[in-house]
Amino acid sequence: MYEISGIVLNQRVSSKDLEKRIQTAVKSGKRELKIFADGQHGIGGRLWPTSEDKKIIVDGTSGQRLGSMGMMGTKIIVNGSCSDDVGWLNCGAEITVLGDVCNGAHNAGAQGILYVQGGAGARCDTMTKFNPRFAPLQSWYFRDVGDSFAEFKAGGIAVVCGVEPRHPGNILGYRPCVGMVGGTIYFRGQADDHSTKDSRIENLTDQDWQWLTKNMQPYLEAIDRLSFLDELTKDRGDWQKIIALSPQERDDLGGNSLPMAKFRLEHWDQEVGKGGIVGDLLTDDRSILPYITFAEDRRFYPTWDNDRYQAPCTYNCPTDIPTQLRTHLIREGRLEEMLALVLEYSPLPATVCGQVCPSPCMDACSRSVFLKEPVEIGFLGGLSLDLPAPEKAPARPEKVAVIGGGPAGLAAAWKLALEGVKVTIFEREAELGGKIYLCIPEDRLPRNILNSELERFSSLGIEIKTNQTINADDFTTIKSEYDAVVLASGAHAPRMIPFPGYEEVIPGIVFLKALNNRQPMSMKDKRVVIIGAGNVGMDIAVEAYNLGAQSVIAVDIQAPASFGKEQQMAAARGTQILYPKFTDRYVKKEKKIYFKDGSFLDVDEVLISIGESPELDFLPEEVDRERGYLTIDEWGRTNQEKLYAVGDVTAPGLITHALGAGRHAAQAVLADFDGTTLSDRSTEMVDYDRIKGEYYERDRQKAGEDGDTEALRCLSCGTCRDCSTCEESCFRGAITRQETEDGGYQYVVDENLCIGCGFCAAVCPCGIWNMNPVE
Amino acid sequence: MESKTRLDVNGQLTLKELPYIIRWESDKCTRCGLCTAVCPQQAIEPAVIVQRLVSSEGPMPLPQTVRQVGQGIKQVTDIERYCVGCGVCSQVCPNDAIFPEYNAVNKFAFHKNQGGIPYKRGGRRNSTETSTLDQLKFTRVSMLTDPALDAGRHEFHIRTLLGRTLAPENMPLIIKDDDLGLDETVFIPPVREIFPIRIGGMSFGALSPNMWEGLAMGVAYLNEVEKIPVVMCTGEGGMPPRLLKSRFLKYFILQIASGYFGWDEIIHAIPHMKEDPAAIEIKYGQGAKPGDGGLLMAFKVLDLIAKIRGVPTKIDLASPPTHQTKYSIEEAVAKMLTSMSMAFDFRVPVYPKISGTKTATAVLNNLARNPFAAALTIDGDDGGTGAAYNVSLDKTGHPIASNLRECYLNLVKIGKQNELPLFAAGGVGKTGSLAANAAALIMLGASGVDCGKYIMQAAAGCLGDERNRCNLCNIGRCPKGITTQDPRLYRRLDPDKVAERVVDIFKAADTELKKIFAPMGRSTQLPIGMSDGLSVGDKAIAEQLGISYAC
Ligand SMILES: Cc1cc2nc3c(=O)[nH]c(=O)nc-3n(C[C@H](O)[C@H](O)[C@H](O)COP(=O)(O)OP(=O)(O)OC[C@H]3O[C@@H](n4cnc5c(N)ncnc54)[C@H](O)[C@@H]3O)c2cc1C
Ligand code: SF4
Ligand code: SF4
Ligand code: SF4
Ligand code: SF4
Ligand code: SF4
Repeated sequence: MYEISGIVLNQRVSSKDLEKRIQTAVKSGKRELKIFADGQHGIGGRLWPTSEDKKIIVDGTSGQRLGSMGMMGTKIIVNGSCSDDVGWLNCGAEITVLGDVCNGAHNAGAQGILYVQGGAGARCDTMTKFNPRFAPLQSWYFRDVGDSFAEFKAGGIAVVCGVEPRHPGNILGYRPCVGMVGGTIYFRGQADDHSTKDSRIENLTDQDWQWLTKNMQPYLEAIDRLSFLDELTKDRGDWQKIIALSPQERDDLGGNSLPMAKFRLEHWDQEVGKGGIVGDLLTDDRSILPYITFAEDRRFYPTWDNDRYQAPCTYNCPTDIPTQLRTHLIREGRLEEMLALVLEYSPLPATVCGQVCPSPCMDACSRSVFLKEPVEIGFLGGLSLDLPAPEKAPARPEKVAVIGGGPAGLAAAWKLALEGVKVTIFEREAELGGKIYLCIPEDRLPRNILNSELERFSSLGIEIKTNQTINADDFTTIKSEYDAVVLASGAHAPRMIPFPGYEEVIPGIVFLKALNNRQPMSMKDKRVVIIGAGNVGMDIAVEAYNLGAQSVIAVDIQAPASFGKEQQMAAARGTQILYPKFTDRYVKKEKKIYFKDGSFLDVDEVLISIGESPELDFLPEEVDRERGYLTIDEWGRTNQEKLYAVGDVTAPGLITHALGAGRHAAQAVLADFDGTTLSDRSTEMVDYDRIKGEYYERDRQKAGEDGDTEALRCLSCGTCRDCSTCEESCFRGAITRQETEDGGYQYVVDENLCIGCGFCAAVCPCGIWNMNPVE
Repeated sequence: MESKTRLDVNGQLTLKELPYIIRWESDKCTRCGLCTAVCPQQAIEPAVIVQRLVSSEGPMPLPQTVRQVGQGIKQVTDIERYCVGCGVCSQVCPNDAIFPEYNAVNKFAFHKNQGGIPYKRGGRRNSTETSTLDQLKFTRVSMLTDPALDAGRHEFHIRTLLGRTLAPENMPLIIKDDDLGLDETVFIPPVREIFPIRIGGMSFGALSPNMWEGLAMGVAYLNEVEKIPVVMCTGEGGMPPRLLKSRFLKYFILQIASGYFGWDEIIHAIPHMKEDPAAIEIKYGQGAKPGDGGLLMAFKVLDLIAKIRGVPTKIDLASPPTHQTKYSIEEAVAKMLTSMSMAFDFRVPVYPKISGTKTATAVLNNLARNPFAAALTIDGDDGGTGAAYNVSLDKTGHPIASNLRECYLNLVKIGKQNELPLFAAGGVGKTGSLAANAAALIMLGASGVDCGKYIMQAAAGCLGDERNRCNLCNIGRCPKGITTQDPRLYRRLDPDKVAERVVDIFKAADTELKKIFAPMGRSTQLPIGMSDGLSVGDKAIAEQLGISYAC
């Protein structure tokens, strides 16, 4: 036994020098050393070669880190207790401490054995490792260990025998095993403060017990406590072990220890009451809903609103001609019905729709709005020319007088007669037709069309009294003899401007009437000026040319109101329009007309066409009027009972207005006879956005020459065309087509399949479907 | 003849004007309609789409036209139906065929005042700049200097005090039975020990029942199962009576605001209370819309809300910008603090909440002199709201960092920094860094912080962000079911899941706070005002906050 003392000449040898002396001794072949330590650090570590056994006995006061980096083959025995960090980073040495160890024993040890005869301080066995190349580290403690034991332990075996512990209630100290990820701790006694986030306690397996009992004996021999062998190995039940949680187990712990649903049931609802904090106030279903919902849980639901909106053509026709319905009938092959239908609305479809109406319906036609060429509605009107009058309803007792046989009067009489009322028309002129007959040039309205439709009109058996100028006395008589009087005498008093020389000016209406009465005024080679460049002015211009005029100039005080066919025809003949021109005077003998701007025109004949006013002298004063026109309600009722007024006598307008007004007044007359109320006439027009023009070729589909083509060109605005686009498009298959009892059909939605996506509404070509909010 | 009606495209916006543009891929889409069924804005709709192709094959021009009419999804350009970028369409789309893309060059602000009505919304200040809080770093890290603590190993006590702490010399200590005791005849302010991150006031009404209950349940769970004493403020509008009468009441701060909604119900419930509330918060201002009041729109005031607030249904509930029955700071503060303290027999801390403002120190000085003032909460300009004018949200208010700092230093000056706690709010966790923002504010001097919008985002998946995504909170169409009273929407939200997330959030924040405080050697006491631990890479901010500059 080679002895090295840590004290030389009463001087403490430095740790560095002591280390050097130990290393030198081992290198020189010494294999048994006895060190007398005086607090030197790190004694007994780093001794090579590992293949040869070396034994180091330490007496005195060993310093910190005894046996640190101890190597295999090194065996250190300390006679007495030890300072901190015994076996720090131990790499294989067997260290026996015959006493207690201080803090940090076997800290970061990887291989080797530590036998402790007593107890241990704080933070022992922390950071121990296991390297699969070597046998696991072993740390044996006889009594108990201090706080923070085995922190971040990653491997190796620790055994705490729990003999005569200092703290019997807790032999592993305060909070052991924090951060432990590996290794095993066998312990005997009570310990329940270990970090459950990192480790768990288990009973020993057979294998554990075998290992423990087998290794117990050499340990006890080494620390000279063999007498305890029986006690320590007699009952496996005395022992428990702590092992690290697996990463998986640790993750599982990350979740909440008490499931929330359980917390709600057992704690929350228990305390606040069933159904939670608002369970008493909110009794509706609160179960969780998905994002996609059905039935009343949808935000929107679709409705098939067929015919809810009027087509633009129908809506914009003052006569209410149901074009959309007519094209529909054509598409359905119900031609007869379609032809007959129009006669319920107008006695003159071929004359008006077909010839002289400027067709607001076609302006409004969806096709014209977004696909260029409208459906040829005029053409459709013309188709009914040769149709006979419809059947009349059974005769009614009432008789009605209609004063004036223009379009307004005709329409009223027609409707009333069809409903079985006895009607008498009083007309000033020799022919029926009013201004259509009197004023509209033949170029624009072939006489045979008007005549043929007037014949059909007469076929209804209406009493027609022509050449009857009704004066005040006549009126009083008529009023008393008839159950109702419809006033439709139009506007025939030409409006004049009282500039000097106006007496020499020919009113346009006089000119036109003369013409249509086959007594035309000669315009041969005349330079003609027409005051007023509206459409009537244009008609006059054309006729003046027809009668041989040399030139026609229409003057107006503002941009001319003329448009369309009339204007085109006049322009084609050479009509010039000048504006703004305010007439100052007409000097017939100078053949000059002067304007307020100082200019003048050479002229042979001046005509004026700035409108006509109604002649109302034959009416009693109590009939309400305003600015020369009779005032009426929307159904044509005047303020006098049983007296109705329609057409130009109430306001200047188009023939179609006159026809519509006549028909509405007839409805009012009937309702007033029957004492019924009329339903509101105002309906909603379909919004153009609802019509899906995209389905149709734009700009290229020209107006057709036949009803079938037009019917197919019609977009069926607001009325289902039964194309089944909705049914086809609904991804959910929620829509089905069903026949109805009346022989029709409808599209219905199964609300349990519908999610309220809006496809049906968005893709419907005719704008039938609506998406409605579910409240 | 010239058509009189044309489809008007004049005055319509282009997609380019809108803040989000929908990317829709026709070839992936099955036209299933899920997206259009859920879009809260009806910003997308099914559409008929025409494609027309003129092609010519062969050696000569022989054009052939193929015209195909199909269906698809189109974004609408109506400003009232603008796409808010919520992404719910993408969420439900089975084919990933649709998603909203942010359009940085949008002109939304130029148009969203149709009808003379300025843009109103929910959410918080729209700004993608990095907030001051997010620029602060914890640069004091124990490296062989401070006692090195290990967040994983050492035990921490992340707690703060809500309530006034008397200075030792002011404690009414007496000797009682040979032992040190307190003179109970002297008023000792009530104090609560709580987790330093609170859930800020979000009313039952602004939030859906499912959201509110989820939060409340999560808070109860944190206290009772996890033992983390998180408290939550009710916001204005009372509390469901069942909760008022439950033992859970102690985890809640009851708020009284200028509308005083729900307070008669609370007062009626006092004799039935098993526990005192955690505190009473008197709301004078809100950081998101300083100087502006609140309005719960009539459509949100359904039966449930009406009952809780003690009002009839379907009426607008206005909370004016100021407390109408109070006329000066002195009066407002004194009157409210005293009467609210008295209501609970002086056992409950009562404190005001104000919006961040240059005049915050004036309020603070006033509170410092009032023995019944338990704390002061300052809500900075990044605070959230259920409804406000965009101009208030974006342009009004004071950022929290310097405002809080100024107040804290003012407390230091008058020697009351350990006496009167400050709570900071407004943008805490704005970019998801809840614990870091909280820690930074604590080190600037806050005793704790409030979070609101963060909780909505993290606990319930609120889609709102600082690029104005979603922010539909004010119109009751919240696609997540958070801020709506429409059962079809709020039933999308599972209160249990919200509660679970609340628990996750606070457990995680607890760990993160430890991770921040451990290297500073703080484990049992919060580093309140420990500003030498903070640095910032911006000299001006460093100077203003009195912290060090590091780069
Ligand atoms: C030149 C001209 C061209 C026009 N071109 C068109 C056109 O192309 N398209 C279009 O839609 N509209 C046109 N209009 C307008 C259209 O003629 C009138 O809107 C329409 O005729 C008005 O119909 P009415 O029945 O109210 O009046 P009228 O057509 O004027 O009919 C009134 C009838 O009452 C008779 N009458 C008057 N006083 C009495 C009396 N005291 N006793 C008995 N009978 C009396 C008249 O002789 C006349 O027959 C034109 C008008 C003019 C003047
Ligand atoms: S009367 Fe005129 S507006 Fe009416 S359908 Fe015929 S053409 Fe069209
Ligand atoms: S498309 Fe047909 S239904 Fe529509 S407006 Fe024209 S004619 Fe009428
Ligand atoms: S397309 Fe089908 S699922 Fe969509 S709204 Fe229409 S019916 Fe409902
Ligand atoms: S992102 Fe939201 S608002 Fe935009 S289209 Fe999709 S669901 Fe609608
Ligand atoms: S949800 Fe997706 S697949 Fe369905 S219609 Fe919308 S984009 Fe197309």
